[in-house]
Amino acid sequence: MRSVLVGIFNLLFALAAAPLLDGILRQVKARLHSRRGPSIFQTYLDLGKLMVKDDQAGANNTIFSLTPIVCFASVLLAALFIPMGGVVPLGFAGDTLVLMYILTMGPLCVCLGGMASGSPYAYVGVSREIMTLMVVEPVMVMSLIASAVKAHSLMLVDCIRQPLGAGPSLSFIICGVAFFLALQPEVAKVPFDQAEAEQEIMEGPLVEYSGRKLAMLKWSFYSKQIVLITLFTEWFLPWPALESLPLRMACTVLKVLVVAALVEVIAQVFPRLKINQSMRYFVSVNAFALSGLMLAVIGL
Amino acid sequence: MTTAQVTMTTAPETLTKAQKILQGIQEKFGVALISAENPRPDRLFLKVRREEIRPITDYVFNTLKGRMVMSIGTDKTPVDGHYEVSYLYALDAEGIALNLKELVPENDPVVPSVAGIVTYANWNEREVYDLLGVKAEGHPDPRRLVLADDWPDDVFPLRKSVPYNFKPPVRDVKPPMRELTEREKKSTIVNVGPFFPTLEEAASFRLFVEGERIIGADYRGFFAHRGIEKLTDNVLDYNQIPFMAERICGICGFVHSACYCMAVEHAAEAEVPPRAQYIRAVMMELERIHSHLLWLGLAAHYLGFDTVLMQSWRIREPIMWLVEAITGNRKTYGLNLPGGVRRDFTNEHCDKILEVIAKIEKEAGELVAAAAEDHTLKMRLVDVGRLTPEDARLLCCVGPTARASGVNIDARKDFPYCAFPDLKFKPAVQHTNDIWGRLLVRAEETFTSIDLVRQMLARLPEGEIMAPVGNIPPWREGVGVAEAPRGECVHYVETGHDNRPYRWRVRAATYPQLQAVPYMLEGMHVADFPIIVGSIDPCFSCTERLITVDRGNANKLRIYEKKDLLAMSRRRTQELR
Amino acid sequence: MISKIKEALICLRAPRVTFRYPLEPMPAPARFRGRPTIDGAKCIGCGACAAVCPPRLIDIHGEGTTRTVELNFSRCTYCARCQEVCPVGAMQCTTDFETATNDRANYSVKVELAAVACQSCGTPFITQRMQQKLMAEFQPAWMQQRNELPEWLSLCQSCRVEKTGMTMGRNIKNG
Repeated sequence: MRSVLVGIFNLLFALAAAPLLDGILRQVKARLHSRRGPSIFQTYLDLGKLMVKDDQAGANNTIFSLTPIVCFASVLLAALFIPMGGVVPLGFAGDTLVLMYILTMGPLCVCLGGMASGSPYAYVGVSREIMTLMVVEPVMVMSLIASAVKAHSLMLVDCIRQPLGAGPSLSFIICGVAFFLALQPEVAKVPFDQAEAEQEIMEGPLVEYSGRKLAMLKWSFYSKQIVLITLFTEWFLPWPALESLPLRMACTVLKVLVVAALVEVIAQVFPRLKINQSMRYFVSVNAFALSGLMLAVIGL
Repeated sequence: MTTAQVTMTTAPETLTKAQKILQGIQEKFGVALISAENPRPDRLFLKVRREEIRPITDYVFNTLKGRMVMSIGTDKTPVDGHYEVSYLYALDAEGIALNLKELVPENDPVVPSVAGIVTYANWNEREVYDLLGVKAEGHPDPRRLVLADDWPDDVFPLRKSVPYNFKPPVRDVKPPMRELTEREKKSTIVNVGPFFPTLEEAASFRLFVEGERIIGADYRGFFAHRGIEKLTDNVLDYNQIPFMAERICGICGFVHSACYCMAVEHAAEAEVPPRAQYIRAVMMELERIHSHLLWLGLAAHYLGFDTVLMQSWRIREPIMWLVEAITGNRKTYGLNLPGGVRRDFTNEHCDKILEVIAKIEKEAGELVAAAAEDHTLKMRLVDVGRLTPEDARLLCCVGPTARASGVNIDARKDFPYCAFPDLKFKPAVQHTNDIWGRLLVRAEETFTSIDLVRQMLARLPEGEIMAPVGNIPPWREGVGVAEAPRGECVHYVETGHDNRPYRWRVRAATYPQLQAVPYMLEGMHVADFPIIVGSIDPCFSCTERLITVDRGNANKLRIYEKKDLLAMSRRRTQELR
Repeated sequence: MISKIKEALICLRAPRVTFRYPLEPMPAPARFRGRPTIDGAKCIGCGACAAVCPPRLIDIHGEGTTRTVELNFSRCTYCARCQEVCPVGAMQCTTDFETATNDRANYSVKVELAAVACQSCGTPFITQRMQQKLMAEFQPAWMQQRNELPEWLSLCQSCRVEKTGMTMGRNIKNG
């Protein structure tokens, strides 16, 4: 019963609250820019506007048309696997690895859609997206697996409970930092948003999308942002271990806000790197995450 | 007026710099020189035989170290049956503007191309052909430059026989492409523009890309060319042009109108009251401060660094309010007329200027200091968009782009105008040849300008601000030179009848700089493209001399319906695949 | 890293500087060159503004005994040259800059003035106010020298030319 309720909450959180989180981040950004900025509900209005706009049909093929739906669905599915207040709604149906697969589906879908659109900007964007995935996904997998190694289980619930009992270990901290560094490219924020760089390749894979399809893709990005940040807070910042579930969930929501704001602040004080520069950077982050995993294996 | 014969008889030690140069040319090319005029110590107008233009160009460019500024094509056929093609050179070390004019008979409109000697002449000669129909023989790349692709091949708009509101029929013509190298043929072509988020104006670059690396680039621009030079033929008069000139550019408009007024004043040999000179110079420096801050913000935006964009524009905004309070508008000051300026500074204005620039000095200082230490910013800018000093000279680059490549030229020093002969300052020069250097040059210039404004306000002369020019006799030539934020801005005016110029020619700083962009792009990443184009602080409308909607056009507008546009854009996308 | 903190500090130290315009008014400074207007009570229809206007938006035309000064500022460059040259201060640039409208007629300002007919041929040629202004300026000087107003003040251009020609011819004939 509890997991069903949390599941419903997760879905709503990822679906309905995601544009609100983006609106709040816009305010954070506006504060750093010394401007007033739009209302925190602006993102809803933007999505609504895209929903009623004409679809310009940038390309006419099935992959191109299906991509937004699959992308959206994959994020919602991921939302059901994300722990919330220490409870994993669909925990019985899959483990850490399944979650990773589902999370990777979104970006891959976007790549496919971009390829299908046939625009040269999309090609450049897709090649950048794939390069980024290649270096960022291992960081996330290694960071998450480190906990699984310590918990001797791939089950999500076991993984997130492990540090609560044993306290943060060295490997846990290292992996947490590595995961946080990987958040920035995963939620497509500067300095690692080369694949969508508006100034260089006009949002890359999205360039040919318009109307409802674009709205769905954007919405799924906002949802993905909230899902990943929730995953990070639940996994690496599970404290304080409160008794009541609603309190724990409220606490998680608060932590998500803080982490998201931090991600946004980082995005605002960096210029976008070039893809080769960010690749070089993530190779070292990979090494860092690997060291965390090694430490977990030897029990530190 | 000194004729060629007069200078021969003067003793060498009493010769001015201009006369010495004239003598040198005379000794080398005696018969090739038809006539020479030296109306002011810093201007030298020569008429040369067109057969000899190549050796003379070689001498002026390579021996005298002249920098080509622009070509000027004038249709004088109604007057004496000739087209006139001139090349204006700036001898920066001597501070002399040297004009080489060739007479081209109407029945044989051909001149020898000098693009082989001065790379920069490439565009200039194409422009002369497009607009005047005088062909440059031996030109390496004689494609259309200025006119629209569907403009008729045999109509040359700057000929006096073409009416200013001539509207050709619409044709379907593909833009001419340049010859591709073998390597370029195999590469991916990424079209950037004509409309692109980081190109604020219409311009089209074709990038030849291998992976992420750019191996070549081709440019097609002038989409915004509206022929305002033609309008002065028979529509506008001397006192109306400054307002038109001001609208050539959305940022450095004041420089354009001041530069035009200087050209007219030179031609009319009119004296401008000192207070007006100072007011012009103060406004130009204020314009430089806000333009450089604008650039810093834009450059950051091209790198996805919007915080610097917003902060730099926040710091800039008080200047816009300040000039609005002084002149009546935040951007188009409308201050200049030939003979002086229209509105005076009050004492409160002077105090307010000092207050605002002090605030900007502090805030911009903090921002620039933070940006200069920013490691990630350096990663994106150092060794990106390189332009060697040799290329900068061959392409006759000006302004911060040239100064960051170690070319020490600054019109405020070399051709002192307005208040600048009285002021002390050092041009900012960097030797890094890259975008980082251009950023440092612009940052330093912002603070130099603040200092210059202080110097000027401390010694602002009293008195009149306007001395009407009166009647201007025809066939006088004037050249106005001023250092715009983007680089040297040059206006040429040849006076005519009916209270309007016979020929008005504008050369904005972006004209040479844009030709350098393909050089800067080579070997760089696609990701570097926006910042490289941005690094020259491009102003396409300046280059293309946009504006003016002719009233007659309204009923002949081509109107595309939504479905036409959609169909066209789909066709275009198909072509790209 | 230090430069990043510095940048963030610069951002946080500055207050939010943007305005809630158009929800809050933004008055323009006193010297602002905004929407031009013609004061119908002052305009004498001399046409000085029409002569200097760079985009040529001021037109003076007339039917019968009225002269209409028409200003259509839809393409106005806001240079305020008309204000500068107006001899009676009828052309004024206001500080109003919110000129967007759905109706093009709102861009037009018209002043209709009565014209006086030429005493010789009867064609209306000058506005009444213009003639009054001319008289006011010339009368004292003329009255000192001769005791009547010059005839040409009430003649249209072509009649004036004819008259002068005839006078000159007569003078030549009379030696």
